[in-house]
Amino acid sequence: MFDYEFQNPEFLWLLSLLPLLIFWYWWQGRKAQAEIIYPEAEFLAHQKANRWAFLHRLPAFLRILSIALIIVAIARPRSAEENTRSRNTEGIDIVMAVDVSGTMLAQDLRPNRLEATKDVASEFIEGRPSDRIGLVVYAGESYTQTPLTSDHKILRNALKDLEHGLIEDGTAIGMGLATAVNRLKDSKARSKVVILLTDGENNSGEIDPLTAAMLAQEFKIRVYTIGVGTKGMARTPVGYDGRGGYFFKRLPVSIDEELLQKIANETGGQYFRATDNEKLSAIYQEIDQLEKTKLQEIKFYTYDEAFDLFAIWALGLFAFEVLLRYTLLKNFL
Amino acid sequence: MDTQALLKKVRRIEIKTRRLSNHLFSGEYHSSFKGRGMAFSEVRRYEYGDDIRAIDWNVTAKLNEPYIKVFEEERELTLMLMVDVSGSENFGSKMQLKREMITEICATLAFSAIQNNDKVGLIFFSDKVEKFIPPAKGKSHTLRLIRELIEFKPQSSKTNIGEALRFFSAFQKRRAIVFVLSDFMDNRYRDALKIASRKHDLTGIRIYDPREEDLPNLGLLPMRDPESGKISWVNTSSSKLRSKMRQRFAEFNKYYRESFLRSGAGDLTIRIDQSYPAALLSYFKKRSR
Repeated sequence: MFDYEFQNPEFLWLLSLLPLLIFWYWWQGRKAQAEIIYPEAEFLAHQKANRWAFLHRLPAFLRILSIALIIVAIARPRSAEENTRSRNTEGIDIVMAVDVSGTMLAQDLRPNRLEATKDVASEFIEGRPSDRIGLVVYAGESYTQTPLTSDHKILRNALKDLEHGLIEDGTAIGMGLATAVNRLKDSKARSKVVILLTDGENNSGEIDPLTAAMLAQEFKIRVYTIGVGTKGMARTPVGYDGRGGYFFKRLPVSIDEELLQKIANETGGQYFRATDNEKLSAIYQEIDQLEKTKLQEIKFYTYDEAFDLFAIWALGLFAFEVLLRYTLLKNFL
Repeated sequence: MDTQALLKKVRRIEIKTRRLSNHLFSGEYHSSFKGRGMAFSEVRRYEYGDDIRAIDWNVTAKLNEPYIKVFEEERELTLMLMVDVSGSENFGSKMQLKREMITEICATLAFSAIQNNDKVGLIFFSDKVEKFIPPAKGKSHTLRLIRELIEFKPQSSKTNIGEALRFFSAFQKRRAIVFVLSDFMDNRYRDALKIASRKHDLTGIRIYDPREEDLPNLGLLPMRDPESGKISWVNTSSSKLRSKMRQRFAEFNKYYRESFLRSGAGDLTIRIDQSYPAALLSYFKKRSR
């Protein structure tokens, strides 16, 4: 809270006048005071019932404190946040094609494949603030969730809202890839990337995955393919239970690795296999590394002005002092 | 205080108190403090209505005209005024300070004494004897006393009544009429009072201010103790503190009354907003009965 810096630190020298002020108050209190002469004053002053009498210094104390706070406020304290925003000179456009078929709810990744993907992808987006990123979802067919955008907030929200069941079930890898390519084909970015994530075999759609891969190649788009799913059996949903949940059954995981490998190879990308959360996360990091952009670091600061806090406190203390002077500590001199 | 103002003040007090002593106390003072026996004082021409038994035949024969002897009560009493000039006397919330009232009372007593041919002396005391003016007669002496009463500045501001009484008992061998004027905010004078009262006709006049009895609720105040000169902040809003003050006042009051009653001295308490002539008068009347 106190890592403030001051815009006008020279005003802080005024604080050195405070002892003078304290002295002045003390002197005033001693000298120019209209005191009552009362025969037994000393006796009274030493009574236990007089223990609150020291409060007479409170208004002066509050006044000095509020003056100190005002001085600090004048010096304009602010907390600086140093942002190193990287501007790449040549941006990368990335489209993430995410499989939302029913099998993505399989629980071999925690809590399930889809959720794990959403988490990791979100992090990935965060780590690439200067790239334009789009989001394409596919199952039985495919559509564009978010076009290429540099507004990553919207992107992350869209990602968060991904759910199974929005589109007809199935796994149309070709359609997904084609849609992603479609999004990228008009891009003027030097580097274009599709991250294709799936957990099964192409079993529907009107476009063959390899055709789509050729399209990608045509447009000089690199396709990184990720197969999600553990090796062996996985708890996979097989039907609705009628209460909004699913029946699960242990089914063998079948990913068309050959196909994915091929797509990656043809487009100059790479194929990864994510068998658990850590692996998935590592894969995204690796893609992140592979697609390093030329960065131009721009440092800039966002300042959070904090003078209002001090000013409000000063005002509050001052008001409290005045209140005390005219109510509780009022006297009739 | 310049001389002009001082004289004016002395004059004002003289006029006020002389009238009092002439009209109110002429008889009362006289009969309250009696001298011993009658003594021849002078002869004067016989006038119609004089007692023929008092004719001095020797003088009448010599001068061939009737003369009579005049007797006077042998008084030559000494009136000692002991005045507390400690700091606490410079307090007064009503019309006047305690010290001003003391001055007027002293002047009244002094004029009464002078009229009755008594000598008047004065002792100023604080925690020591500040000034001693030996007893003497005459109007000019009385005026001097009044002047001193007005302008005297004590060296110390504390109170020790016992010390003053001891000093007085030590030097005054003849019986005297003594008035001790103070606020009696002290509780260490009982023994000295007993000793002094055995020899002298002693009266305490206690002057107090109602604000001393009842500390008013004025909030948080800086107060200067006139005895020590220290300024301290006092929370007069505390009802506990105020009752403490009442208690202390009552203690002093009790000590004062008991001490004077036990030593057989007279005591008189006057609140500063009361009329002192009435109080003095009733005291004298009570005594002469």
